[in-house]
Parts: sequence; structure tokens; C-alpha cells
Amino acid sequence: MSSSVMEARLLEKEGDEEVYEVFIGPQHPASGHMRLIVRLEGDVIVGVDPDIGWVHRTMEKLAESKEALKAIPLLERMTIIDSQNVTIGYVRALEKLLGVEPPPRARYLRTLLSEINRIASHLYGMGLAGIFVNHSTMFMWCFGDREVWIQLAEELTGARLTHSYSVPGGVRRDLPQGFKEKALKAIRYMEKRLDEYHRIFFDNPQVRARYEGVGVLKPHEARRLGVVGPNLRASGVRYDARLLGDYGVYDELEFEIPVREEGDAMSRLLLRGDEIRQSMNIIRQVLDKIPEGPILAEKYLRLIPPKLREPALKEGRIKFPGIFANLKLPKGEAVARAEMGHGEIFYHVTSDGSKKPYRVRVVTPSFRNVILFRYLPPGHRFMDLPAIYGSLDYFPPEADR
Amino acid sequence: MTCPFMGLAFLGRLEESSRKAAQWLVERTPVRSLRDWAISFSLWPVHFTTSCCGAEFAAVSAPRFDMERYGFLPFNSPRQTNLLLIEGTLTRKMARAAEIVYQQMPSPKFVVAMGACAIDGGIFHNSYNIVRPHELFPIEYFIPGCPPRPEAVAQAIVRLHEKVKRSEYGVKARET
Repeated sequence: MSSSVMEARLLEKEGDEEVYEVFIGPQHPASGHMRLIVRLEGDVIVGVDPDIGWVHRTMEKLAESKEALKAIPLLERMTIIDSQNVTIGYVRALEKLLGVEPPPRARYLRTLLSEINRIASHLYGMGLAGIFVNHSTMFMWCFGDREVWIQLAEELTGARLTHSYSVPGGVRRDLPQGFKEKALKAIRYMEKRLDEYHRIFFDNPQVRARYEGVGVLKPHEARRLGVVGPNLRASGVRYDARLLGDYGVYDELEFEIPVREEGDAMSRLLLRGDEIRQSMNIIRQVLDKIPEGPILAEKYLRLIPPKLREPALKEGRIKFPGIFANLKLPKGEAVARAEMGHGEIFYHVTSDGSKKPYRVRVVTPSFRNVILFRYLPPGHRFMDLPAIYGSLDYFPPEADR
Repeated sequence: MTCPFMGLAFLGRLEESSRKAAQWLVERTPVRSLRDWAISFSLWPVHFTTSCCGAEFAAVSAPRFDMERYGFLPFNSPRQTNLLLIEGTLTRKMARAAEIVYQQMPSPKFVVAMGACAIDGGIFHNSYNIVRPHELFPIEYFIPGCPPRPEAVAQAIVRLHEKVKRSEYGVKARET
């Protein structure tokens, strides 16, 4: 596959010696797993071809070969840094097929983990954006502060990255003791750190020179190209799948969707900072408002043998009986959207009445944003390419599935 | 080696003979143990991300785990590195690139396979698009886990230090 792309590019090169091509990747100091074929005229970029598919691990096909519940751990490997948000859409689609609704406490817990993951994902993106312009301090700070949120998520779910927290009908674990104090401490720490990020990175004249006014995406272009997530909102379009109120408890909480008008690389970065603040706001509200109650729907609690049911309810840990993996999906289709750190993810699950889904279609935010590599860099200097790449927060395993 | 001066006869091809002489010298005990001691503290992995375990790989070099204190510094060019960390699944398309990167690295070079996918496919064992890294590279250590915790990666690196210090790395790692 790659060789055919390469040959096509080399053939096109014949005859115009003015333009030369630079192959960047797949081994390069950035987030890796992809190749950019950059066509240059002197130092000015005239075209970029993103060569994707380096991490194509056949998620959709493998999801057809597994029982519906077992596909959750598989699908979260797409975006391992944001695993709650990437699976919540699939879980919602399954819930719609099975006709089951999670109890209120489970919805609050899902929202809590979603926002923790969103913060961790944004810090990952901001750290990489820092290292792209050789600002190692930003990388170190962001990745160091990301551990705070990963530790919180680990306390809640038991895993650093691959939580597999949401299941059809609820969540797998209840809130641990003393979680609220730790979360509030983390929020206080992060608020302080965000101001320090501004001092060392966002207001740094050298960083501003690299990021400001680079890779401007106009609102109508963003709409036309079907861009999603922070990249879209930084162009002044207020669109967020959380506003649909399909999952979580976002309709019961008060929060803003941060929007910026400039549409350049700097505003895309700053928007992530704004979103971190809003996510912390949501976490605070969730911890205040979270109701008491079961964490799994009544329909599935009854499946657990009575001997195990009592300790499960008391400890807040659901250990699934084998029968749960063999849930038969009713015949039909279901569609669900969720907002990830990178943007909106879309699931379409088709079932033919067996235990395994007939087809799982995933449209991931990174795949919808990859088109920006082709549209944003032309006309810029070659050294602006890392800034544009860094600001897009592109995660290749997610795009390639 | 039967004759200790086999490579030292200057028979016209001076360059090759001197290279052989240097090789012979380096492979003898005092120099070699000194070399291996030095190598063990400068295991620089090439910055080559193959899959999602790269998120934990980044955490390894980030402040909380800070593997740089063991001389573990991800570096950009394969020419200046001696450790290839296979981070998770190796797809067919990526395997070709990984082979090229491995060939470009100077010897002695080491390969550590990280994650369940790099052992035998892991959760993607029945996928049509993956390869097993042990079919392509001589692997020093496998790190189990999906993804492995950063502590596990750190442990593998420390183990590799000890192995290199004892000069016990595989013959293949020393070739070419």
C-alpha cells in the first residue's frame, strides 16, 4: 500500500523540478504512526498528502467476531488516552438496541470519568504541541500533570488507561471512599497550573510567534470539511455532541462550550485550556450532585446470582456472571454520538439478532480532522508544519481504527 | 578464533585489516566490559511509535517515572540510537518501516517488545493486518500487559542494563 503511494508521488514529480518532496515519517519525532508527504517550492509548502493507515488494526472487523460486550475493551484501544469517551458511544448504541437505561448514579459516574479523561487527553495534546515546537518544558509539565488525572481515574476504575468502565446498563465500580477530596485537590492544583502554563507557554513570545496566525481555518471551511471537536470550536462554530443530551448528565449541569473566533493554531491550543477549566467545573458539579442508588440497571442486577448480588451492591463492584457476555442483541440498528477530547465520535451498530453485532461502524474524530493536513499547511513555511500538526491534536490509531 | 593475530596481518587491504584489528581488540575482555558498561547507561530508544502503547512510552519519559535518570532518552534519528522499543501492535505497513529503522541503527542494538500485542497479537490475535515482532527481530525482553504500566517498562530497561553489563546480549545484536 505504502509503496504504491510512494510510486504515484514519485511519478508525479517528474517534469516539475521546481517542486520537491519531503517524506516525513513514519519514524519522526512527533506523535508517530503516520507519514506526511510534503511538496515544497523553496521553503513554501505547496501541498501535503497525509499517508494514513499505519496503525490500521481492523477494529471494526474484529468487533464483528466478538460478543457485543467483549468489543468494549477492543474499541477502547482506538484512543487509549481517552478510553471512556471512545467507548461511551458504543455502550449507548448497545443500550438503545437492548432497550435499557442506566440508573442516575451510573450516569453521573460516567460523566465524571468522561471529564477526567477529557482533561487527560487535552493535556496529552498540549504536551505534544509543546514538544513539536521544541518546548520541552511544556511536554514535561503537561505529562506530569496528566498523571494526576490518570491516578484519579485509576482510583475510580482500577486501570491507568484502559478503564472499560461503562457497560450496557451502568458502570462497573462505585465511587471509592475519599474520592471527592482527592478530586477537589486535583482541581485546585490544575487551576494553579493552568495559570503557570500561560506564563511559560501560551504567553511566551517565541511560542506566540510560532503559533499565532498559523493555519487559519475559516468557519465556513470548517463546516464544509466536516471538522469536529476543538478544531471546529476554535473556528467559531458552537458544536458539541454533549449538547445533544444523549449520554451522561450534561443536560442537568451548568457549563459552557468554549468557542474562539480566530481559528488559528494558537486559538486551537488555548481552547483546550478553556475546555480543561470547563471539565473541572463539570467534575465539581457532578461530585456535589451525585445521587445515591444502584450503579447497574435493575434488569441486569437480577441476572447476578443472589449470593453475589448482596456483596456486589455493598462493595460497589460488579462482577459479571458469564450470562452477561451472552446477551442477545435484538434485531435492529442503533446510532450514538459522544464527544471525545478530540471531537465527536459516531457509532452505528447493526444487529441481526445474534450475540455478536452484525456490523459496527465507527467514525472517529481524528479521521474527520485528518483532512486538515491537506488544507491548512499550503502557503505556509515548512517550519510552520510542526505548529499546525501540533495544534490539530491528531491521534493516528484512532483515525486508522 | 584459532590464531589471535588472524585479523592483524597487513596484506594490502589496510582499511579492512585495521577495522578487523579494532574489532578484535574491542571484543577482548577489558575493553569489551568497559564498552558494555558504557553502553548500558546510554540505551537510547529510537522515537518510533508503532501503536497505542506509545501513550505509556511517553509517560515513561515524562516526569513521574522519568526514565532519563537511567540514561533512557528517546531520540529522533535511528543512526544515534541503539534500542528499538516495539510499542504494541505491529501492522503490516508499519513492520516494513520498523525493519528499515532497525537496519539503520548502529550495532550493538537491542529490541524490546512492549505490550501483549507485541508478544503474540494480544487482543488483535485474529486480525488480518498484524505481524508478530519476534518473527522480524531478535527480541531481548517482552513486557506483558495491555498496555504495560510504566513501571514494567522501567523494569525491562533495568533488566536490559544488567544484561548488557554482563555482556550477555544475543549474538544477533552484535552482528553488522
